[in-house]
Amino acid sequence: MLRVLLPVLLLAVGLVLSVVSERPLPRADLVVNNGSDISTLDLQRMSWSMDLRGARVLFEGLVANDQFTWGFDIKPGVAERWELSDDALTYTFHLRENALWSNGEPLTAHDFVFSWRRALLPDLAADYVALFQLIDGSVEFYDWRTEALAEFADNWSGSDDAAARAQAARELWALTETKFDDMVGVHALDDRTLEVRVVRPVPYFLDLCAFATFFPVYPPLVSQYDQLDTKTGRMIAEAGWTKPPELVSNGPFRLTRWRFKRDMRFEKNEHWWNADSVAIDSMSLVSISDPNAQVLAFQTGAVEFLADVTAAYRREMYAKKRSFYDEHRSEYESLLAQGYDQYEIDRNLPDDPRKHAHFVPAFGTYWYNFNCKPKLPDGRPNPFADARVRRAFAMTIDKKAIVEEVRGFGEPTANTLIPRDSIGGYTSPKGLKCLSDAATEAERQAIATEARALLAEAGYPDPSQFITVELLFNKDSGHDLIGQAIAKNWNKYLGVPTRLMQREIKVFRDDLKNTNFMTSRAGWYGDYGDPTTFLDLSRKDDGNNDRKYHTAEFEGLLDEANLETDPARRMALLSRAETIIMERDLPMVPLFHYVHTYMFDASKLGGPNAHPRTKQWMGGFDILGDGKGPDVAPAMPLRPIVQSLGRLDGAAP
Amino acid sequence: MIGLIARRLLQLPLILGVIYTLTLWLAWGIPGNPLENPEGRQPPPEVIEAMQAQYNLDSFGSFYGSYLASATGVTWLSEELSGEAARRAQEAADAGVAAPRRYVFDLGPSLQYRDIRVNTIITDAMPVSITLGLAAMLIAVVVGVSAGVIGAIRPNGLADVSTLILALIGISLPNFVIGTILLIVLGIWIPIIPIVGWGTIAAIPVPAITLSLPFAAYIARLTRLGMLEHLSSDFIRTARAKGASETRVIIRHALKNAFLPVLSYLGPATAFAMTGSFVVERVFSVPGIGQHFVNAVQNKDLFLIMGVVLIFATMLILFNLAVDVLYRWVDPRIE
Repeated sequence: MLRVLLPVLLLAVGLVLSVVSERPLPRADLVVNNGSDISTLDLQRMSWSMDLRGARVLFEGLVANDQFTWGFDIKPGVAERWELSDDALTYTFHLRENALWSNGEPLTAHDFVFSWRRALLPDLAADYVALFQLIDGSVEFYDWRTEALAEFADNWSGSDDAAARAQAARELWALTETKFDDMVGVHALDDRTLEVRVVRPVPYFLDLCAFATFFPVYPPLVSQYDQLDTKTGRMIAEAGWTKPPELVSNGPFRLTRWRFKRDMRFEKNEHWWNADSVAIDSMSLVSISDPNAQVLAFQTGAVEFLADVTAAYRREMYAKKRSFYDEHRSEYESLLAQGYDQYEIDRNLPDDPRKHAHFVPAFGTYWYNFNCKPKLPDGRPNPFADARVRRAFAMTIDKKAIVEEVRGFGEPTANTLIPRDSIGGYTSPKGLKCLSDAATEAERQAIATEARALLAEAGYPDPSQFITVELLFNKDSGHDLIGQAIAKNWNKYLGVPTRLMQREIKVFRDDLKNTNFMTSRAGWYGDYGDPTTFLDLSRKDDGNNDRKYHTAEFEGLLDEANLETDPARRMALLSRAETIIMERDLPMVPLFHYVHTYMFDASKLGGPNAHPRTKQWMGGFDILGDGKGPDVAPAMPLRPIVQSLGRLDGAAP
Repeated sequence: MIGLIARRLLQLPLILGVIYTLTLWLAWGIPGNPLENPEGRQPPPEVIEAMQAQYNLDSFGSFYGSYLASATGVTWLSEELSGEAARRAQEAADAGVAAPRRYVFDLGPSLQYRDIRVNTIITDAMPVSITLGLAAMLIAVVVGVSAGVIGAIRPNGLADVSTLILALIGISLPNFVIGTILLIVLGIWIPIIPIVGWGTIAAIPVPAITLSLPFAAYIARLTRLGMLEHLSSDFIRTARAKGASETRVIIRHALKNAFLPVLSYLGPATAFAMTGSFVVERVFSVPGIGQHFVNAVQNKDLFLIMGVVLIFATMLILFNLAVDVLYRWVDPRIE
C-alpha cells in the first residue's frame, strides 16, 4: 500500500513545500494593473507608457506637472525654484536642500548631469534622444561620439592587442566625459544649482523636465552597471540596477519587490521631501496581461485601478456607461453644464457598477495619410500631390459613422490634428468640413458635389476614370473596418474606385517609411504639451513625415514660432501652421481623437486626473475614507464653459 | 541503485548538450531579427550592429560558444579566478552600493525585456509553475486512480461507463474551454474563488483542477486497463481462494501491479504539468513559466528560448530518473 501511496505522498509534500516557500506580503493599500509588465525602469532608455507611469511613482524630475489644472501647469519638483534668462535660453534650477535619494544620500545637480549625459550617448540608443537634443551643443556631442566610435571600430577591428585596445577605449571614454562638459549646455554650478542652456527658446522645456526620461538616476549605482565594452569602446547599459534591493530612487515610493510578469511592490519612501503628502503606504502593481482578465480582476475587487483598459467588450462598457448617464440625464447635464470633470460627475451620481469605466479623450489622433510625392511608387503621376484632390477626399469621409458604428467607445471626431483644449493657451483651427458636419442627406450631397468640383478643378472631371485609390493599413485593432468605411464613402460620394491593402505590421511599417502607398492609416500620441509635438510630424525632414509633405509656408511658420519668445504670439503662429495643414493642404485627414479607458471607482479612489494628456501620477492616489491622507479627491477646476472634454458623446460645445 | 543514479546524472550533461545544439540550431533559423521590435521604436542601425556584436548574435559559432561558457559556469569561474569579480566587488564597495549580481549559471539577458535576465525570469516564474503542476498532478493521481479502480470493479457497469465518459471529456475537451467554464461558474456566478492572480492558497485549486483533467483522464484509463488485466489473472484468483477480502484483493494485489504503468507515466507528466500550462496560465492569469515558452519563440528571444528549453529538458530527465528509482522500489523484480 505504501508503495502505491508514495508518489502521492511525494507530490503532496512537494506541494506543501512549494506553497510554504512562497512568502506572501499583506495586501497593499492600493493594487493597480499597469497594463502588461514594465519593460525597463532605466529612465533614459524608456518610452512605453507603462514604464513611464511606473517611473513617475519611483522617481521625480526637476519639476512636475500639476495634473489638476487644464493647462497641465508646471510646479516645483526636485528644483524648488528656477530662473529663465532674458533671451529665454538659459535655465537655472535651484535644487531643494532636502532632496534626497531613497538611501538618504543627498541628490545633487551633478546627478542630473550624469543622467542627461547617459541619454545623449549614442551608445545607449535612448528612444527619446531627440528631446534631449534641444539642449545646446547636444547634437554636436552626439555626432562627435558617434564618429569617434566608428573611428575606434575602424582602428581596432583587426587588432589582436587586447590590452592596447582596452586602454584606447578607456581613453576615449575619458575624452567623452571632457567633451560633454565642454560641448553640452548642462552644468552643475554647485551641488544645488543646475544650469541648462537650450539651442533656441523652447517654451515647453519645463514640460520636458517633467517627463520621466529627464528624471535623475543614482550615479554611484548606475555606474556599476554601465560598463565600458573594451572591444568596441561603447558604453553598455546593463539594467540590473533597476531591481530591488539595488534600486535607489528619489520619488514618493521605493521599489521593494519585482517579480517579473507577476507583480511589483512599492512602499512609501520616507526620504522623499514631500513624503507627508503621500496618502498610501504601499502599492502593488500586478501584471495581468489578458485585457478581459484585467476587467474581471477589477470587478471582483482584486484590483482598484486599471490604467489602460483594452478589453474586447470596451464597446459594451461604453454603452453601459451611456445608459447609466441616460438614467440620470438631468443631473448629468446639470453637473456637466457647471463644468465638472467626468470623475466629479461620477462621484455625484448614485453608486452603480456601470459608472466605473471612464472614457477620457486622449492626447492622440487617428488619421489617414496622403502620399504627397509627385509620383507614385510605380512611376505614375500622383493625383494626391494636388492639395485640391486631398481636400476632396478628406471632405468625403463620414467620421461620425466611423466613430459611432465602427469604433463605438465615444471617440470625438477630429477636424484638427491636435486634440482641442489639450494644450493651455492654444487655439485650434476650425478644420475642414466633412460629411459628418451635414445633418441631412441633401447637405451631404452638397458637400460631395463641392468635393467633386474640387476634383474636376484639379483635372479629374470624371471620377470613374480616377486611378484605383489604395488604402493601406495593418491587420488587427479594427483598422480593416475603418478602411472599409472610408473606401465606401469615397465610392459613394466621389465615385472613385478603391482597393483595400491589408498588410502585416512589419510590411506596413516598411511601406510607410518608403512612401509605398497612396493613402494609409496612421496615428500619433503627443509626447509633450506643445503643438509642435504634432506639427513637427509634417516638417520636411522629420523622421515621421511618411507623407513627404513639404511647403515653405508651413515650414516658415514653424521656424518663426521657434524664434518667437512671446508665448501668445508663438501659439498664434503655430495655430496658423495647423490651419494650413488642416484646412488647405491636408497631407493627412484626421478621423478621430483617441479615447483612453480607465477603470476605477471614483467614490473610493481619488487622484486620477481626467486630463487628455492621460499622464497619471499614482504617487498622488488616495483611498477615500481610509483615514490616511486628505481623503478628499482632487478635482479639475470648474470650466467656465461646457467643453468637449467632459462630454462622452464628443460633441463640440 | 546508486550506480543507476550516478550513471543517469553523468548522462545528463551529454543529453543537455545534444538538446542545446539542436534547439539552438532550430531557433537560429527563426526568421527575423530579435533586436528589431515591430511595435516599438527602432534603435539606429549602428546600435543594432553593436548589440549584435555584444551578444555574439552575428555568428552562430561565437554565440554557441559564449552561451555555453556562461550557462555552464565557465565564464563565472574564469571571472573568479582572474580577479575580475573581486575587482568589481571592490569598485561597488567603494561607491557604497551593492555589487552587480552574478550568476554561476548565467543564462544571459532577455532580448525582449531589457531589464530582465533569463535567470530572473525562470526564478520568478518557476516556483509558480511548480506549485501549480504539483497540485494538478496530485489531483490527477488521486482522481484518476480512484476512477480507474471504481471502473474496473464492475466493467461496463454504471460507474465504469460514467467514468469512461468523464475521462473521454477530460482528454478531448481543450483546457481553455474547461478553464473558461470554471472561471465563469466559480468566479462570476458563484464567486467563491479569487479568479485572477496568484499568491493565495485559495487561488490554487481551480487552475490546478483545470490543468489536471487530461492527466487524470489518462491515468484513469491506464489504471482501469491495468486493473482489468490483473483482476483476471491467476494470482488474484489465488488471493480470493485464500479468502482475502475483496478490498484487500483490489488494493494490495491488483492495484499494486496496475499502478506500475501509471508510475512510469507520472515522470514526463509531472514535467509537462510544471512547464506546459500556457493555456491554463493565460485563462487564470497565473504568472508561470508557460507564457515564456510561447513569448520567447514569438519574439525570437534567443536567450529566453534556450533558457526555458534547457530547464524543461533538465526537469524531464530528472523526473524520469526519479520515476525509475521509485519504480525499482515499488517493483523489486526490475533490474
